[in-house]
Amino acid sequence: MENRTIKEPIRKKWIWVVLAIITLGVVPWYFPDAAAEPYILGFPLWAFISTAFSIIMCGYLSWLCVNEWNIVEDQEEAEKAKGDKS
Amino acid sequence: MNDLAFAGTDGIIILSAFAIIMLVIGYLSGRGEKNLHHSLSGYYLAGRNLGFIALFFTLYATQYSGNTIVGYAPTAYRTGFSWIQSISFMTIIIGIYLLFAPRLYVIAKKRNFVTPTDWIDHRFKSKAVTLLSIFLMLWGLGNYLLEQLVAIGQAVSGMTGGTIPYQIAVIVFVAVMLAYEWMGGMKAVAFTDVMQGIVLMIGIIVFLIGGLYLVGGNFSDVTRYVAELEPAKTAVPPMEVNINWLSMLVLVGLGASIYPHAVQRIYSAQSEKTLKKSFARMAWMPPITTGLVFMVGIIGIMLFPGLDKTGSEQLVGLMANEIAAINPFYYWIMIIFFGGIVAAIISTADSVLLSFSSMLSNDVYGKFINPKASEHKKVMVGKVCGIIAIIFLLWIAWNPPGTLYEIFVLKFELLVQVFPAFVLGLYWKRLSGKAVFWGMLAGAILAGVLTLTGYKTIYGIHGGVIGLGLNFFICIAGSLLAPAVSKSKVLEEDLTAINLKA
Repeated sequence: MENRTIKEPIRKKWIWVVLAIITLGVVPWYFPDAAAEPYILGFPLWAFISTAFSIIMCGYLSWLCVNEWNIVEDQEEAEKAKGDKS
Repeated sequence: MNDLAFAGTDGIIILSAFAIIMLVIGYLSGRGEKNLHHSLSGYYLAGRNLGFIALFFTLYATQYSGNTIVGYAPTAYRTGFSWIQSISFMTIIIGIYLLFAPRLYVIAKKRNFVTPTDWIDHRFKSKAVTLLSIFLMLWGLGNYLLEQLVAIGQAVSGMTGGTIPYQIAVIVFVAVMLAYEWMGGMKAVAFTDVMQGIVLMIGIIVFLIGGLYLVGGNFSDVTRYVAELEPAKTAVPPMEVNINWLSMLVLVGLGASIYPHAVQRIYSAQSEKTLKKSFARMAWMPPITTGLVFMVGIIGIMLFPGLDKTGSEQLVGLMANEIAAINPFYYWIMIIFFGGIVAAIISTADSVLLSFSSMLSNDVYGKFINPKASEHKKVMVGKVCGIIAIIFLLWIAWNPPGTLYEIFVLKFELLVQVFPAFVLGLYWKRLSGKAVFWGMLAGAILAGVLTLTGYKTIYGIHGGVIGLGLNFFICIAGSLLAPAVSKSKVLEEDLTAINLKA
């Protein structure tokens, strides 16, 4: 129990590589000038794809918070459970 | 903000109701809590005991201010679709939090930090670094608070059709804010944020629905109209805009995450679980907040084509008039929504003021003027100094400068310079105080000079980001040439990940 691995996002390189890739997808530097059309849900093509990447970023960061961050949670929860019992 | 033809007396009723609710929440938060005013962490951090709902809403209402609506919709109107960057730069803040919040939360709890400067002081043990970071953070906060005060005046006088004049509006709402903050500290701020956040969220959604109704319900028609009228607003952004977009991601991500009041919310969390759950939900807020406001701005192009810069700043008020005229339901929702905007501004202002006071009492007074003072005295000094600072800022707010967005960008330029000290310091043992000091100073000077001489951006890159680049360079190069030699066992322990759990 005591030696359970600490999950600290900064120590995992892949997290930041993926975030950098998503960020590069958000900024529409890679589109040719013609990418204003067609319109998808009222958004020009480039804006739609950029928004899609933004939403992927929201989901990815939200997922990271829950799954890749765990330093003192077990300890705190155990103490809380102990406190509730006593 | 434009005068709202529809509001007047009804606006005053709603605003009064909001003010009373805030005061009652403040009173209830402070009632029966005798220790609240005798402990720095009790008053400024709600006893480090904020649960998920309060923490989430206080993060939300603090991060999204009235400026998010009143200032961002006109920016979308003027710049077009490239303003969808507002979704990404509000999201990236969570990514930046992930760089430092997990470790900072643990250390802050272990070492009983109250302000961000407590960490800087603990890490570098250097008066110069501490003082400079206090100055930069107070500067950022002061500027931010000033922006909120100006916004309160404009929003209230606009909403009541000028019945409540700008100056009176600012004084009354500042008095309400000071009163509930005085009674309940961070606890009052967080609980009023729950009410303010909910009104803001619902208001934005109804505002967008009303806007869409006015243009016939089809957003594609709006885009087609914009493409014909002003094709540049739907076209693929030119490279300079893309560079500016990336620069905004860096500037806002780093700057907003390091805001003292944001950092203090990390300190206030009840547990790691609460904190990460709140951040996980916050990550989804940009699309349904700045994303919807962006759409409102684009719809505005079709509803009110051809507005100049000053005219477009009135966009939200102009649209609200039209939406309110649809039917009585929209009329009342619009009035509540405008009350919500005022509440959103206040919810940001109260957090900033609380953080400002905590730094004055804990950092300036507690560290440099009277370190032996009791916690009760420090809390009192913070409260009184907060009021004095507000009076000074009010004096400036009487002649509000620039448009809201310009003020918004300005405040990050200097504040962001604290970032390397703050975050590099958490992980890199060799980082030396001297290098940090010169890096922070050089970065701040470069960013300040660029801004003051009119070079807000160079090739799309913000002056603050260029200053930050120099800052990082000096910090890293200086520390490699003359690394810090830590003799503190406590610090060694904090900087070694494996010890974090102990």
